Amino acid sequence: MLEARLEQANLLKKVVDAIKDLVQDCNFDCNDSGIALQAMDNSHVALVSMMLKSESFSPFRCDRNIALGINLTSLTKVLRCAQNEDILTLKAEDAPDVVNLVFESAESDRLSEYDIKLMDIDQEHLGIPETEYGAVIKMPSAEFQRICRDLIALSESVSIECSKEGVKFACQGDIGSGSVTLRSHTNVDKPELNVEIDLTEPVALTFSLKYLVNFCKASGLSGQVKLCLSNEVPLLVEYALSNNSYLRFYLAPKIGDEE
Amino acid sequence: MARTRSKPAIKDPVPASTSAATAALPPSALDPPKLFILPTGASPAARIVTLPNPVTASPTRYFFCPKTGFYEFTKIAAPKKVSRSWLLAPHKAAEDRLHKITNSPEEVSQQGAGNSDKHDSAENIIDTPLISKGYITKSADLFVATPLDLMFLILPALSPISSVSKESQKQLFLSLDDYLDALSASSPHLKQLLLNSKLQDKISRRMAAICDIVDAGDEKMYRLSQRKLLAALLSKAERMAKEGLPTSMEEKFVRSVLEIPIMSVRREESELGSAPQTGPIPVGEGEEATEDKSQSATQSFGTATPVTTTGDSQSPITSSSTVSSLVTPTLPEVALSKPPSTAPEGILHLLRIRTILTFIFSSYIPPHLHKQLQALLQDTKSPDFAPLDAHLSHIASMHSQVQALRSLSDNISRKRGFEGDDEAAEARAEKKRMKEEEEKRKKNESKAVKQLKKVDTTGMKKLSAFFVKVGSKK
Repeated sequence: MLEARLEQANLLKKVVDAIKDLVQDCNFDCNDSGIALQAMDNSHVALVSMMLKSESFSPFRCDRNIALGINLTSLTKVLRCAQNEDILTLKAEDAPDVVNLVFESAESDRLSEYDIKLMDIDQEHLGIPETEYGAVIKMPSAEFQRICRDLIALSESVSIECSKEGVKFACQGDIGSGSVTLRSHTNVDKPELNVEIDLTEPVALTFSLKYLVNFCKASGLSGQVKLCLSNEVPLLVEYALSNNSYLRFYLAPKIGDEE
Repeated sequence: MARTRSKPAIKDPVPASTSAATAALPPSALDPPKLFILPTGASPAARIVTLPNPVTASPTRYFFCPKTGFYEFTKIAAPKKVSRSWLLAPHKAAEDRLHKITNSPEEVSQQGAGNSDKHDSAENIIDTPLISKGYITKSADLFVATPLDLMFLILPALSPISSVSKESQKQLFLSLDDYLDALSASSPHLKQLLLNSKLQDKISRRMAAICDIVDAGDEKMYRLSQRKLLAALLSKAERMAKEGLPTSMEEKFVRSVLEIPIMSVRREESELGSAPQTGPIPVGEGEEATEDKSQSATQSFGTATPVTTTGDSQSPITSSSTVSSLVTPTLPEVALSKPPSTAPEGILHLLRIRTILTFIFSSYIPPHLHKQLQALLQDTKSPDFAPLDAHLSHIASMHSQVQALRSLSDNISRKRGFEGDDEAAEARAEKKRMKEEEEKRKKNESKAVKQLKKVDTTGMKKLSAFFVKVGSKK
């Protein structure tokens, strides 16, 4: 059986919020190392990969590998019933029909309990190799979100060019063009505002902004976001969580018809 | 009506193939004997000849007897699916005169003593082991020789295609010899036959019936008159209609065409219900009158049908006229407004005539003459087809009405009727379930997911192109 206690329901709420706009149903694969999730959007051009390590829970118990097929819309509905600071406990049998969520309020003695019916979901699982990326950019997640939101006003796609000068997000649309350039930048007082660019080769790729904006919904999870790019390879957008947990998004680049 | 495609013309096919027939379990004969029913009293000089078909101009076999004229072959065959064969059994009388036999016993038994002529003619073929010991032919085809009017065979010569192509130009008057030359040019067999002066006489007589004639000195000159031709055809049609159409033709071209859609049953009920209130006397009288008429028509048809036709051919006539007499009361308002449209006996007769004419046209008349003859037929008043056309269009309109009514009101019941098929119902249920599920899924879909579907993903490869599938985790 599975029993995972999360000190703050907030974490799961944000993770699910970030994913639910990308995928509809997905399997939460639970094993003794934690809870993992991998799912693609309907067009199969974007992939979300989540790993919540067992260390993020206290306690975490999972006797067998269990796949919890959950409709994320339903999960969101239930998670809305939890306050951010509630203690969340996930429970499931070994061959579960339902997943049980218990919200405990630390302040009051309120205890709410919900069951969500599970689904059988046939999902293909992709093996994602460890990749040496040509460019790794770390920046404040709010900054990345702002760039994406600003540029989507102009165009549907953005070209990300990494060179010695810095990283340039540029787009060209019907009303005109725009670009944002970031350079490496260290803020001693507020390290979360640092911009680090680690470049081994120049990279230039184009991506769909709609998807990037969607990824940015995870900004609340982490102060910093890591963008990893290599030519002809999907972009990796990673939001690091505590205890080596992470939420990663992959997005296929636009190849061919440059706009 | 399938025209025969028998093997090369021999006077009588049977003796030619008898040798192959009697070998002990031989490979099946390449050219098996065929069964013919030949006219009684054919002269010994009768021949099977190859002449151009008047319609297609392709060589076709005919039976020619100098005394009685031309016969065409009609192939009577079992449907392909039904495997039938002829068993030709020895006939007692035939065995007695074994040395004389030339025909298959079947033929002897069917024709009785009528073919003694032929026996004589074929007497010299004695050496062959005889088919009369018993024989099985694989195909159950039977070729029946039926009399054919000489007129049809000479039509192509009377009006060559070239004469029609030059429309305005009047065809020239030609002498009988010119036509005979044209005829003999068309077929070597005919050339031989035309040496017979009797046949020439016959031809000239038939030509006189359908041609305009002028006297040029001591010679008569002929030119095809389409008006006369049509009159001849019409008289043929009249005669055929009087005898009654073959059952299958009657069923297909007359009865089914005149069938009134079912709707009338309901209307009849309502009419009966409302009749007492609306003073039905004049309507009722009209009904009876028409009914009587059609009844008498039925009777007259019944008596007119000759004894040779089976009871079968009578029944459709009777039933069809009862059908139409049933119809009359159901549509009183129509009957009052358009009296000719419900005169069944006239309509029936007209429709038969038209059916027969269509048949004659398609089987015997060269295609290039059709157009002009049809036009003439339209103009002619002797059988006036106008009431038939009116009636047919009336029926067509009723059919469309019923169609419209059905699609409106009968919709539900008809749907139920279709559901008798379990499998189909199951498939439909499955489809419905899938659709509902799909709808449910769609409802559960978040707004953002829906919007993401609209994103232009051209030029973006699927992620499975970059990452390797490792099989779905359970």
